[in-house]
Amino acid sequence: MFCKRLLLLLIALLLPQLATAVPLADKVVEHRLANGLRLLVVERHETPTVAAYITIGVGSVHETSETRGVAHFLEHLLFKGTTTLGTTDYTAERPLLDAIEQVGSELDRLRLEPDADPARIAALQAQLQELQDRHRPFVVKDVYSQLYSQNGAVGFNAFTSKDLTTYLVSLPANKLELWALLESARMQDAVLREFFTEREVIHEERRRTYETNPRGLLYETLLATAFAVHPYRNPIIGWHSDIANLSLAETRDFLRRYYAPVNTTIALVGAVPADAAIALVERYFGSIPAGEPVPPVAAVEPSQRGEKRVTANFDAEAQLAVAYHKPTLPSREDYVFDLIDQILGQGRTSRLYQRLVETEQLATDVAVYGAPGSRYPNLFVIEAVPRHPHTAAEVEAAILDELGRLQREEVSDMELAKARNRLLTDNLRALRSNSGLARLLTTYQTLAGDWRYLVSYEERISELTAADVQAVARTWFAPQNRTVVVVAREK
Amino acid sequence: MKRLVKRVALCKYVWLVAVAALLALAGCTPAQPKRPEQLTYPPLEFWIPEVTQSTLSNGVRLYLREDSELPLVQVTVMVGSGSLAAARELTGFDDLFATTLRTGGSGSVPAAVLEERLDLLAANLSCGMGPYATQLDLSVRRDDLREGLAILGELLRQPAFAADKLELARNQAQEALRRRNDDPESIADRLLMAALYPDHPLGDSPTEASLAAISRDQLVDFHRRHFVPGNLWLAVSGDVRQTDLLTLLEELFGDWPPADVPDTILPPLVPPSAGLLQAVAKEVPQTTIILGDLGLTKDDPDQYAARVLNFIFGGGGFNSRLMREVRSDRGLAYSVWSQFQVGRRFPGPVMAGTETKNASAVEALALVRAIMHELRTEPVSPEELQLARDSLVNSFIFGFTDPHAVVVQRMQLEFYDYLPDYLDRYRERIAAVTAADVQRVAQAYFRPERQQVIMVGLPDETAAPLESLELPVRRLRGDDLRR
Repeated sequence: MFCKRLLLLLIALLLPQLATAVPLADKVVEHRLANGLRLLVVERHETPTVAAYITIGVGSVHETSETRGVAHFLEHLLFKGTTTLGTTDYTAERPLLDAIEQVGSELDRLRLEPDADPARIAALQAQLQELQDRHRPFVVKDVYSQLYSQNGAVGFNAFTSKDLTTYLVSLPANKLELWALLESARMQDAVLREFFTEREVIHEERRRTYETNPRGLLYETLLATAFAVHPYRNPIIGWHSDIANLSLAETRDFLRRYYAPVNTTIALVGAVPADAAIALVERYFGSIPAGEPVPPVAAVEPSQRGEKRVTANFDAEAQLAVAYHKPTLPSREDYVFDLIDQILGQGRTSRLYQRLVETEQLATDVAVYGAPGSRYPNLFVIEAVPRHPHTAAEVEAAILDELGRLQREEVSDMELAKARNRLLTDNLRALRSNSGLARLLTTYQTLAGDWRYLVSYEERISELTAADVQAVARTWFAPQNRTVVVVAREK
Repeated sequence: MKRLVKRVALCKYVWLVAVAALLALAGCTPAQPKRPEQLTYPPLEFWIPEVTQSTLSNGVRLYLREDSELPLVQVTVMVGSGSLAAARELTGFDDLFATTLRTGGSGSVPAAVLEERLDLLAANLSCGMGPYATQLDLSVRRDDLREGLAILGELLRQPAFAADKLELARNQAQEALRRRNDDPESIADRLLMAALYPDHPLGDSPTEASLAAISRDQLVDFHRRHFVPGNLWLAVSGDVRQTDLLTLLEELFGDWPPADVPDTILPPLVPPSAGLLQAVAKEVPQTTIILGDLGLTKDDPDQYAARVLNFIFGGGGFNSRLMREVRSDRGLAYSVWSQFQVGRRFPGPVMAGTETKNASAVEALALVRAIMHELRTEPVSPEELQLARDSLVNSFIFGFTDPHAVVVQRMQLEFYDYLPDYLDRYRERIAAVTAADVQRVAQAYFRPERQQVIMVGLPDETAAPLESLELPVRRLRGDDLRR
């Protein structure tokens, strides 16, 4: 008894004064435009640079079965300019763009017809090629990238996730107006050029990400297996047949519908006075119509009624993933899963690392994470790389035994303290860079509906007990809620 | 340090004035500019951040940048000896040494206790060995700095290299060896390095035998000879005062007696005698292509022209020729890139790479080589040159946004003996690069007949065989790689 109390005292002393929440809450200046666009500004003057993040609360979950892949594809096309940027003469270019769309769409339609005339297809292909060649002289290639680079900006990029889409760049602080001009133009005036060529790029991206490495195959197979109904099951990039059949009309519709201020959060972090940032964003984005809010996803994943188990073949040594459905933020259980993630899989003293990698040496690596998004109920995933001569089955048995232990016994105070310290300290580390902070702000504003999720996080995490961990483990680590995927060389 | 504070304050002030001026201007002209040419920018006032440098009583060099925004401290320790100082036949020594140093505990604290402490403090501690140096990185909360440094000091001064941790590291390396042909990219990288640095440690990859030959005594011996104060460089950033840090470091390291640093005898490099295309058959729908040649060392005055050339060729993202021609115009690839790695003592590799569907593999490789040919035979356009130089000059400031990167960079520049004015004159040297410089460097390093090319996948040769690329071809299968 005495020992235990002493230990608790020691742990209490060790708990840092984690000033994550307080400085952040004080530093963020929030401004809402009349059209609904939300701006978050954090002033930091260490170097005269600014990180600029624009997050649109639309991702691949908002696609239909007809438009799978469109959110990501659109993100690519939004690098191609506007009616005034990226063209030598839009008025002259426009008829060619229309002709390309018409021929390309006809070609797409014919390709799906079982008895289409091959000669007709070949003729259309030649026509499309000819139109594309005629169009090329009108294109000022990759004008956004060119303008940003010329002005010293770095990290110009974008990413599409299941839940949201983000456009990011870091600029020398004196060039911030360039960002406002380019990004406000992109939101209201984008022209979707080079559509059919870019579709080929997306096919290559898909091959590279999911089809030439075993990990990509493992992850894609896991999602497509664990989810039956919810769009979290689909790869963000789409399947090949999705990509091949995306149309300009669908892509344009997705853009017009959702890329609007009401769905947008901007974060500017760096050497910019908050009032100047607000004035700039008001001036460039203030007149854009509010647009239509992205509707919530109606599909609900039904409770899983039994274990799912899949093997996928790839020319590689075996690796495996074990996953369980779980609730997402802001539920209390999601915070508990953050602790479980630490206790099981983060750090050399975590349970799975200790058991699988160090003690029994069944695996060389174990990774624990939540996926594939956070807006809707998601998965708790454990991946492992077996070590020869141990098999995926042996590794799986050891993982399941550790999950059972979490259900049978309460975790120790020391483990809880470690998990909390790690979560809070890593949050602090994420604030170090301007872009890291900008990313956290737009992401949590969009996913949790309020960036202050980050501020209250410490308190939420500190309230949780060993009993909470045990209860959550008992509820969710049930066999019928489990999906197991193994990728291995065909025997 | 006082002077630095003044400079930062001045810099901030200038910027605020500039923004105010911009806003005032904006107030007079309500019309929002439509085109970038209509924008005018206030000047950017920027000084390279200063780093405080000092030396401990026993010769350890210390670089510090105080930064109190967040209650965190980062520490990087560089020991000026790496895998090139290990015995030639012990390929894989770098990994086993670094991992066992990190995980093997110390003379006074067993590994398990040490890991428990680090995890409870939520500290990050890592160790890695490169060809020329060994580096340890520590990140701790401000209030844990003393304990974090004490642990780091234990590992630096008296690592235990526990035998069971060496075996664990060895077992993991053996498993990585079994998996080295799983991923096309890892096959391509490995074969390219072996082709560029034949029979040289920079081109070797570990084998079962080389891993098995590494003993604990060899780790201990390497540590004894190379981990001495005069061979130690420290970079620290974060929420700590210089006086406090110096006191702490003297306490932890002050009684570590100086000793002579052994010279590393570098094995001579015999460059590959001729170009070669190696095609590895692997059942994947896309072919990974990577090609390379030997390039520059850090003392080469051509490195500025090489940076500009690289930007124009494939390093400038969407502004580069590779991206425009291979991806944007033809849709042949998602990723296509180039890189000039500047070597420290040996020439670094000049590389380019892409992945494309098997059907277009030969076409894509021919295109990459054709773009290299153009850069050799024709001067780049004034617009391309200007964009590359502007981008490199104007983005220079982003080398200084992370305070820790600033200190580590300063430390490394001095460790590797860069000219003292390297940073100060970097921008003017880039700005002085001409089209003729770019072409000259392209002629020196883009030599089609000397290129080492690796393809992994099932390239379709219906339209044109690999031999059409005018390089000798060697075809390999998975089994050849397992031997």
